[in-house]
Amino acid sequence: MLSKINDIVAGFISILKGLAVTGKNMLKKPVTIQYPFEKPVMTEKFRGLVDLYPEKCIACSQCVKICPTAALDLTATTNPETKKRFLGAFSYNGELCCFCGLCQEVCPTAAMYLNKCYEVAYYKHGDLTKIDLLKADKYQHLTPPKVKGLKK
Amino acid sequence: MELQELIINMGPQHPSTHGVLYLQLKLNGEVVLDCQPHIGYLHRSIEKIAENRSLTQFIAFTDRLDYMASMNNNLGFCLAAEKLLGITAPPRAQYIRVIVAELNRIASHLLAISTFAQDLGAYATPLFYALRDREKILQIFDQLCGQRLTYNYLRVGGVSGDIPVGVDLLIKDFISYERRMLAEYQDLLTGNIIFCVRSKKIGILPKELAINYGVTGTSLRASGVKWDLRKDEPYLAYDKFDFNIPTGQNGDSFDRYYVRMVEMEESLKIIEQALGALPEGDPVAKVNKVFRPTGETYMRTENPRGELGFYIVGDGNPFPYRLKVRSPSFSNLSVISHLVKGLNISDLVCVLGSLDIVMGEIDR
Repeated sequence: MLSKINDIVAGFISILKGLAVTGKNMLKKPVTIQYPFEKPVMTEKFRGLVDLYPEKCIACSQCVKICPTAALDLTATTNPETKKRFLGAFSYNGELCCFCGLCQEVCPTAAMYLNKCYEVAYYKHGDLTKIDLLKADKYQHLTPPKVKGLKK
Repeated sequence: MELQELIINMGPQHPSTHGVLYLQLKLNGEVVLDCQPHIGYLHRSIEKIAENRSLTQFIAFTDRLDYMASMNNNLGFCLAAEKLLGITAPPRAQYIRVIVAELNRIASHLLAISTFAQDLGAYATPLFYALRDREKILQIFDQLCGQRLTYNYLRVGGVSGDIPVGVDLLIKDFISYERRMLAEYQDLLTGNIIFCVRSKKIGILPKELAINYGVTGTSLRASGVKWDLRKDEPYLAYDKFDFNIPTGQNGDSFDRYYVRMVEMEESLKIIEQALGALPEGDPVAKVNKVFRPTGETYMRTENPRGELGFYIVGDGNPFPYRLKVRSPSFSNLSVISHLVKGLNISDLVCVLGSLDIVMGEIDR
């Protein structure tokens, strides 16, 4: 009987202790942000979708060789007169990409980089599978529709 | 009462597991007579994939084994590859590796204890507090390597980038912050009588059974076996740091939880020492661009969940001939049918939570 009363008292005290912790946290500022009304700022090294500076690319295809999931595909053409390789086509499959950043690491001219795009939801199948990296507006269709009351 | 056997399928999905697990239960009313885990729902044939990837490429796949502790997986694989190729990482890289591995151990244990508390009915409160603290670690990793879950930070021969300016201060802030928070968790969970009654003397794992089943990590140490590879078979710079190996006495669910709790404090100690003694120099060794592994090797490291081993066989090609992953969760899960006999279903969830399994590395 006595041990039961002891248990009840101990249980009551432990609940009060827990409530004290809750109370302390109740007065603190929230740690969450109101996405999508507030957008998080990505860090400097953030690895988003693969992007390319076509003018810098020398078509060495090291990124294609290192890609663990074969998400990149490159066609290089050679100028018969000057024997210089230049970029023919460069396609990227965002569905296969595992955002490992190896392509960015091996690129000798820093032409390939991973951008800050983190909203990669798309609206129809195929939107992310065949992306032409040479186009300037390749990720235009991924931009989500405007949300009312969006803070910049 | 007449004994009535009823076979119930628990899973293939249950919130108390980090992944897809199917438990076939034989029940008498509420009492579990037998429990048979069925695995394979998360199988991605990562070991086979490894046979078609170079060592550098495969690091990205180790992230997806135990996705709660990707850094530790990176570390295990990189050490195995380095052992096979005869490379030694420079001292600065070794210290950075210790720091990130211990940070990830804390992140993993935070999630383990909080989901364990959630399984016992402490709905959301400890989980959200732990996720809040884990977020700080993830932000550190985000600045370090650019990702929050699949880091791909370590490389064969070092790390992919040095610690950026300001991140060491963030880690220092985190150490003092987390010390305060761990004291708070002790009040909130360890001091809570409901939590103790629910977890003490539940799912007792005897020492002999644990060793026979190859149970490692916190579950083994909770049973009273002082076995930690960081101390007993030191890799990296672990022999230079001063830390204790916490062990439990009873091997019940509470001990498994408590060992994790103490281990986080020890990890904070290691990070503090490593950050204080961070040597100068290059964070990556000069290595060849293409590795051609020959021979075979086995390297094991202490993951948050236990011993993670990588067995690599190379035949001179860039791709390994065979790669085997010895995952700790697989052995830890296999012991469950011995632990839950005679318990209620609610206690089964408690045992499952305390074993802290991740299905990603069980199924591979």
